[in-house]
Amino acid sequence: MTAVTAIAYNTVREALSRRVVLLFLFGALVLIILSPLFSFLSPREELTLLKSLGLGVIQLASMFICIVMGISLIPAEIERRTIYTVLSKPVQRYEFVLGKFLGGILTMLFNILFMGIVFFAVVAWRATPKQALDLWKGFMMIFFQMSILVSLAIFFSVFLTPFVNFFMSLGVYIVGTLSSVTESLMKGENRTVIQKGIGAVLHYLLPQFGNFNIQNKIIHPETRIINEGVYYIQNIGYAILYIAVLLIIAVIIFDRREV
Amino acid sequence: MESAIKIEGLTKEYLNRTTGKMVRAVDDLHLEVYRGEIFGFLGPNGAGKTTTIKMLLGLIFPTKGDAWIFGKPIGDVGVKRQIAYLPESPYFYEYLTGRQVLDFYARLFGIPASERKKKVDALLDTVGLSRDGDKTLRNYSKGMLQRIGIAQALINDPELLFMDEPTSGLDPMARIEIRDLIIRLKQQGKTVFLSSHQLLEVELICDRVSILNRGKLLKAGKLDELLPSGRVEIVAENVSDDGVIAKIRDAGGIVQRQDGRIVVQQPDDASVNRVVDIIRSANGTIRSLIPQRRTLEELFVSTIEEVEKK
Repeated sequence: MTAVTAIAYNTVREALSRRVVLLFLFGALVLIILSPLFSFLSPREELTLLKSLGLGVIQLASMFICIVMGISLIPAEIERRTIYTVLSKPVQRYEFVLGKFLGGILTMLFNILFMGIVFFAVVAWRATPKQALDLWKGFMMIFFQMSILVSLAIFFSVFLTPFVNFFMSLGVYIVGTLSSVTESLMKGENRTVIQKGIGAVLHYLLPQFGNFNIQNKIIHPETRIINEGVYYIQNIGYAILYIAVLLIIAVIIFDRREV
Repeated sequence: MESAIKIEGLTKEYLNRTTGKMVRAVDDLHLEVYRGEIFGFLGPNGAGKTTTIKMLLGLIFPTKGDAWIFGKPIGDVGVKRQIAYLPESPYFYEYLTGRQVLDFYARLFGIPASERKKKVDALLDTVGLSRDGDKTLRNYSKGMLQRIGIAQALINDPELLFMDEPTSGLDPMARIEIRDLIIRLKQQGKTVFLSSHQLLEVELICDRVSILNRGKLLKAGKLDELLPSGRVEIVAENVSDDGVIAKIRDAGGIVQRQDGRIVVQQPDDASVNRVVDIIRSANGTIRSLIPQRRTLEELFVSTIEEVEKK
């Protein structure tokens, strides 16, 4: 495990020194800090607007950081040949992939926490303790959603170029976010068998990112998630399982790849 | 002798995407490198040297054939604890400092933190980068990067080092330092697999060499065997008599007159004593007697040319 932690630590250090990552982070922080200025748009529902804007910014910035970072985690090592000096040491290829993934999600954790703390500071004094606590549930779900996205970008990166991977990861994220659409495509009464089949494949094969979006509940506290605890456990379990499957396939492919 | 590397029929084929044809980068290579020797792996660009090294390190996979390092099949992670690799023009994490990058590689070996610091300091000192250890690598010159590359290769005190052009980009002083370092490693009982274009350097430090061209092994052996001596150059003074010179020529010597001296090229060892006797009996003075051998460069060029003509 020492190799995995060393690679993860190095990955975090590299990711946080990348200008593009810092640019997204900085841009998001500026928007979050300035978000109270937009309250004139809806003076009666200032808190609703703040939460909506803040959570949206955190999710969008996280998604871009995640994809931009994730698509290059392994290809950059191959392109600049740093992988030679790593894989010629006693490092198994699965340890390399795992180290890169752990580094990726730790970077995301840092980014989401940083944006979350700033957002919390902006919103907390306007909200009730329960509403403030709900924000952290939202951050947690964004983190698990991004963890799946990191593993997806790593999975694609072992056989696709970063350019293609960018659009694939973004595309899958968008389709996966619309899980209610794919579900209706699958179950709709006036659909053909082919349409239902495509719907089923998309619904079950692609990660259901949409299930991690609990912004609606946070923005509108009057809405409730039935069996909230079970909902979180199920979705976190789903994320862990989905990540495990993606990483196992990525390792199998990467194990056979020449570098 | 115990073998450090054993290669049997190693072959690597690539698909050339532009022509759609298979290209054989390494062709049925058989080679054995013994423990404790410096082995020179020579060949022109594209000969298959780096491909062979990458196969031995498990970075790419052979199409055919087998190879073993210290008796274990290539790709065995355990054996990687005993080996090290210095790639040609090594690239490192440029956002890290020299110290941080060595610390990272030490972590990959699971070296504990207390030991890591001492090891990193000692290695920076060995490669002459003690004062630059806290600079980020993006501020390093090519020579400094090469030195860091050597330091990372020594982090695990390896038994076998693969060095791909270790003196590339270095100034003459640094080259001498690296050459001395390689000799010191041999004195410590380490095996060095040295791929290089610096033929003079290889000739100076290698015990055995091999020459590869278009993936095929053309020659391999000890330098003494590949570069046999035989020709001897004798420089003598006070020999001007034409009769004496004629006698030397009769003994097989090729004589040239230079500023009151004669320079005799004897094609073989056997007649050297006869020529020396002729010069001394004519009251000539022997100034030098130097056995000449073919240089590695000459051998390399003639070997490659011979094959290319075919």
